[in-house]
Amino acid sequence: MWLGIILAVVGLFMGVFLGLKIPINLPEGYTLYLGLAVLAALDSVFGGVRASLEDKFDNKIFLTGFFSNILLAVGLTYLGEQLDIAFSIAVVVAFGVRLFHNLAFIRRYLLKKWWP
Amino acid sequence: MGKNLALSFLVVSLILGIMLGLQFRGSYMEVPAEAVPERPHALTGELAQLETDYQNLQADAADLQHKLLQAEQGTRELYAVLQDELQKIKFAAGLLPATGPGIVVVLDNIPDDEGFDSDSTMFAIGHEDILKMVNELRAAGATAIAVNDQRLLATSEIRSAGRFIVVNLHRLTAPYTIKAVGVPERLESGLKIKGGLVETLKEWNIEVIVTSYEELTVPAYTGPVNFHYAKPVEEGEDK
Repeated sequence: MWLGIILAVVGLFMGVFLGLKIPINLPEGYTLYLGLAVLAALDSVFGGVRASLEDKFDNKIFLTGFFSNILLAVGLTYLGEQLDIAFSIAVVVAFGVRLFHNLAFIRRYLLKKWWP
Repeated sequence: MGKNLALSFLVVSLILGIMLGLQFRGSYMEVPAEAVPERPHALTGELAQLETDYQNLQADAADLQHKLLQAEQGTRELYAVLQDELQKIKFAAGLLPATGPGIVVVLDNIPDDEGFDSDSTMFAIGHEDILKMVNELRAAGATAIAVNDQRLLATSEIRSAGRFIVVNLHRLTAPYTIKAVGVPERLESGLKIKGGLVETLKEWNIEVIVTSYEELTVPAYTGPVNFHYAKPVEEGEDK
């Protein structure tokens, strides 16, 4: 479990480093999509952490959830853009709520474990 | 299981990291620092410039429109004046019918009681009679004269051609009707003066009927007006 967290942190730093170095210029119009994708991915990651703390972690669910969340977030935003409705807000709210929810669960779990 | 978990954590966090990195770069680092304040400033200046230009051009357009309108109006007025002048000159030249008070003189040969044909040349109305009559009418102030509806112009001739009298290249025969616009009393008295034309003509066995009209119309000259040889003298050209 701890190995997983270490690996996650290492992967995160590597990813950030790569992202800063990759010679791809993201067009300005895509920043919104990428931001929402990041939000969805973060949600998935926290969900995964929570699941692993609960010992309910399923790799398949984790991976499919990760990608489908990203796709859903981006797709919904795109749809909103086409319809001139800010669906991105729905994405932000939904994933934001889940993010805080997961974080709260992790916090409680850790508190219970280390500081009973 | 643990290995799988570690691997997927690694992959997922790697992707997340790449996205974060791209996002950081996209939102912060790509934009050149000094371009941000400069560009809007320049654009604002340009916009202000264009707006002033637009205002100026609009003012110019209004001014030009006004001038165009004035020019149009001037042209129209000028045209009206020219038209008016043209009408006047045409009228003076006899190219327009004239109407007004005047007299009608009818000259006719009285058929001779005895001879059949003897009167034809000896006592018939000659072109001199018509000329004298016209001259007398003009002297009495007639301004528009026509002989048998042939309007007399400045270029009109009255000459004999055998049994006819030619006016404006038209052959006329008796009876001759001379229409003249003018003051009827003056015209009539000019003709009927003692020892005047009417008396003389009557002595020559010619019937003269003078009738006054409150209103009569003298027709316009209808033939062509061609000046083949005479040309107007250019201004300043004195020969």
